[in-house]
Amino acid sequence: MTYEEKSVSSKFSDEIRHRLGGETIAFCYQCGTCASSCPVAKVTDKYNPREIIKLSLLGARKEIVAGDTIWLCCSCYNCQERCPQEVEIADVIYTLRNIAIQEGNVPDIYVAFAEGISNEGRIVPVSKFAEKKREEYGLPPIKPANMDALRKILQATSFSKIQFKKGEAQ
Amino acid sequence: MSEVKVGVFLSDCGKQLSKILDFDAIIDFVKNVSGVTYVARGSEFWRGQGLQTIVDSIKTGKVNRVVVAESVSKISEITITKAVEEAGLNASLVDVVDLKDHCAWPHRDAPSEATEKAKAMILASIERVKLLEPIEKLEFPTLKSVLVIGGGIAGMQTAEDLADMGFEVHLVEKESFLGGLAARAVRFFPTDDCAICIQSPTSDLKTVTNTSRKCVYRSGFSEIPNINILTNSKVVKVEGVPGNYKVTIEKKPRYVNEKKCVGCDLCTTVCPIEVPDEYNAKLKTRKAIYINTPLVYPPVYVIDAETCKFNECAKCVEVCPTNAIELNQKTEQITLDVGSIIVATGFKEYDPSVIKEYHYGEYPDVITHLELARMIDGFGPTNGEIIRPSDRKPAKRIVFVQCVGSRDRRWNPYCSSICCMISLKHATLIKEAFPETDITICYIDIRATGREHEYYYEKAREMGINFVKGRPAEISHDPEEKVLTVDVEDELLGRLLELKADLVVLAPAMVPAEGTKELAEILGLELDQDGFFKEYNPKLRPTETKRRGIFLCGGATFPKDAPTTSLHAHSAAVKTAKFLTKGKITKYQKTAVVNEDYCGDCEFCPVTCPYGAITLVPKDEGHFVAQVSDLLCEGCGVCVGTCPVGAIELRHLRPNQISAQMKALLSVNGTSKPLILAISCSECGNAAVDSSGMAMMQYPANIRVLKVPCAGLLQVQQIFEAFKTGAQGVMVIGCKPDGCHYEVGSEKAKRKVDLAKILLKEYGIEPERLEMFNMVYIEGDKFAETARKMTERIEKLGLLQLISS
Repeated sequence: MTYEEKSVSSKFSDEIRHRLGGETIAFCYQCGTCASSCPVAKVTDKYNPREIIKLSLLGARKEIVAGDTIWLCCSCYNCQERCPQEVEIADVIYTLRNIAIQEGNVPDIYVAFAEGISNEGRIVPVSKFAEKKREEYGLPPIKPANMDALRKILQATSFSKIQFKKGEAQ
Repeated sequence: MSEVKVGVFLSDCGKQLSKILDFDAIIDFVKNVSGVTYVARGSEFWRGQGLQTIVDSIKTGKVNRVVVAESVSKISEITITKAVEEAGLNASLVDVVDLKDHCAWPHRDAPSEATEKAKAMILASIERVKLLEPIEKLEFPTLKSVLVIGGGIAGMQTAEDLADMGFEVHLVEKESFLGGLAARAVRFFPTDDCAICIQSPTSDLKTVTNTSRKCVYRSGFSEIPNINILTNSKVVKVEGVPGNYKVTIEKKPRYVNEKKCVGCDLCTTVCPIEVPDEYNAKLKTRKAIYINTPLVYPPVYVIDAETCKFNECAKCVEVCPTNAIELNQKTEQITLDVGSIIVATGFKEYDPSVIKEYHYGEYPDVITHLELARMIDGFGPTNGEIIRPSDRKPAKRIVFVQCVGSRDRRWNPYCSSICCMISLKHATLIKEAFPETDITICYIDIRATGREHEYYYEKAREMGINFVKGRPAEISHDPEEKVLTVDVEDELLGRLLELKADLVVLAPAMVPAEGTKELAEILGLELDQDGFFKEYNPKLRPTETKRRGIFLCGGATFPKDAPTTSLHAHSAAVKTAKFLTKGKITKYQKTAVVNEDYCGDCEFCPVTCPYGAITLVPKDEGHFVAQVSDLLCEGCGVCVGTCPVGAIELRHLRPNQISAQMKALLSVNGTSKPLILAISCSECGNAAVDSSGMAMMQYPANIRVLKVPCAGLLQVQQIFEAFKTGAQGVMVIGCKPDGCHYEVGSEKAKRKVDLAKILLKEYGIEPERLEMFNMVYIEGDKFAETARKMTERIEKLGLLQLISS
């Protein structure tokens, strides 16, 4: 990741701090415990939670929101468990994703997830294969989701109002 | 009491004040006030001829109460009260008002208004002195003896200072040997010299020991006259008052007579019991009878009661050539009478096993700095070799991990401040002795802030020690390869590293010593948010506590390096000596006093008093009554503000004096603006009023300042009284809550104001007429601005109409 901005501003970190899950971002003192705890960072140098926090604190909103790195977090919460400053790193990354979604920057797979929830009440559709396997094991068939109830929840939580647009990030 | 005769002495500051204030009018006014028998005007009254005028008027019997209008009233008060006392009048029958900074200067744009205000101020002072009562001077004897708790470098140095000054010193150490944490640390930065090197007695004994620096064991420390060293001992009870404490010490048996043991070591050769040696990080074993190292004080063996078989075995008794071993020794209770107590209990390493991902206590090759220090010690368990404990083979690759449990919100949020330097010290010492060792220090920030400390960091880099900026996530162990792996990100490269190591050294947080909490309870001392002993004031009184007579030094207040510990120890010695050297505490009885008939033993005042000066004592069957210790009371009056029935009063500011002052201050207006009473504490609040005047910042003369010792003295009734007496608005001015000179006063005052606002509303009076402000000396501009704004606010609200009952 490169830092394209040449100037520094606390505007973006203020925005994050005032959103649910982003409150703790400014506690970070850049010790790197998150990066060396991260299973994703072990396999790709495209992803580094410490750098995401640092870039956010310095105000690189465009790079973070339009970029693809925030979508690589596997939500294992290792970083959050070990952070000595109690930065809720995984939650901060969710906050960043929420901002990206609002800006219409969502990878396809997340759009598919959202559609799955809205249409069938499931992130992953129930496949014929799964149903067959369950039968073999003597497990009862999966009941269809209570869509009436779910729709009410999605409406009450404003989930249904979100426009999931396919963005540049893939 | 004979007839009250008030003398009023008006200073015009070299005729500067009379350019604004109409002194002739003021004098005419004052002369007609009842009780005034003498009025004088002069250039100044706090020194020289002016002061002599006051003295003469007292000596000739013209006056027996003194009102002085003088600038910088705080300073003037000192010389005036002293002179008044020498002239034979009680020093408390004096009041000083500041016509310059509180009147002429801030109202110089409105001379006639200022003159009217000056009249009101002087009238208030006259009405007050008429009601003043003589206050006695009290003396409390103090003992010339000191208890020092903790025999580390802080305790030893402070004890040595005081003993050398002639005080009787009892040095209590809970371990069997002196030296504390320092003795185990072996060497100190930045000098790299021995940790057990202390300043030896420099006066009489210098001729014997030749130089001022010596190893503890040959320093002659124990031979300083007046020093009584009690090892294996701890404080279990403290009673009494500053200057006169009765301390109970519990001394565990050593089972070896200190006066007989010659240190021949025969006992350990026959002792059959072998246990891991905690002192030496369990890297070796010791016997049930042992000595930590040959270089300790006292150089006397000790028996570990938990493992010794005593009379079942007694082999050591048989072999001891001087019959020094006494297996029948019992725990003793020792009572000491001391004037003062110094807490020098130090700090300890935090147990890093709570950080699971570092596997301390699980992997034997993950150790702490103190454990490494034992290896570096030539007298230590490895004779100076650096090994990996799992197989005792030399450690060729060593990784240091900084900030283990420190700067960590989960465990200890603070920076322990010395661990970076300890790592640099250990790394360079090892590199010097074994240059082929590969050493890496993983750090978040290197904090080498002391004198010469940066050079140490420089030296470490020049020697080839590696630095990785990053806090390791995890330490893992490969049992087959017998190697540890440290996962860390080098942040400067943005690269994940897997450091291989034979030995990983953790730099744990430094936390308060064992037993700190219990001792704090025994002594009635406060601890800070991190569990260390809290000093009275970090800037001004770093070795004193809120319990007068009890002092602090060394790591008991926060982790410290050796130079800072020395400074702190010597400073505590000076403060203690200053406290005890006169053999008595002299103070005026400007204290609170309880009216026993009204006191309802509600426990409000004992709980509120910031100095623990109030206790409940039995009165009659099932009833208690509050009692104030004149020695401990600081005369702030926070108790007065707390008492729900008005049963407690200050001798030097009774409620009737406050009422009289209020009445006088609000008796003359002279301005077209609504009268506002500003009740200010005599500390930061009054300093803000002073400084606004000194800087000639202008505010209207309708602001009338009533000074009280602490805003916490204020009662809700007094706020109502102000309105009833004619105030259109009331300002309460106190110190900043966390800078209150009497700890809780400002906060208590705020609560009273909030409560009064609610009640005012109930009575149909706008609560905006009342406001609390917190100010300090440098905020004179804020006072002037607040006074102006408050005036505008009250003007908008219009005239307050009270229906008198």
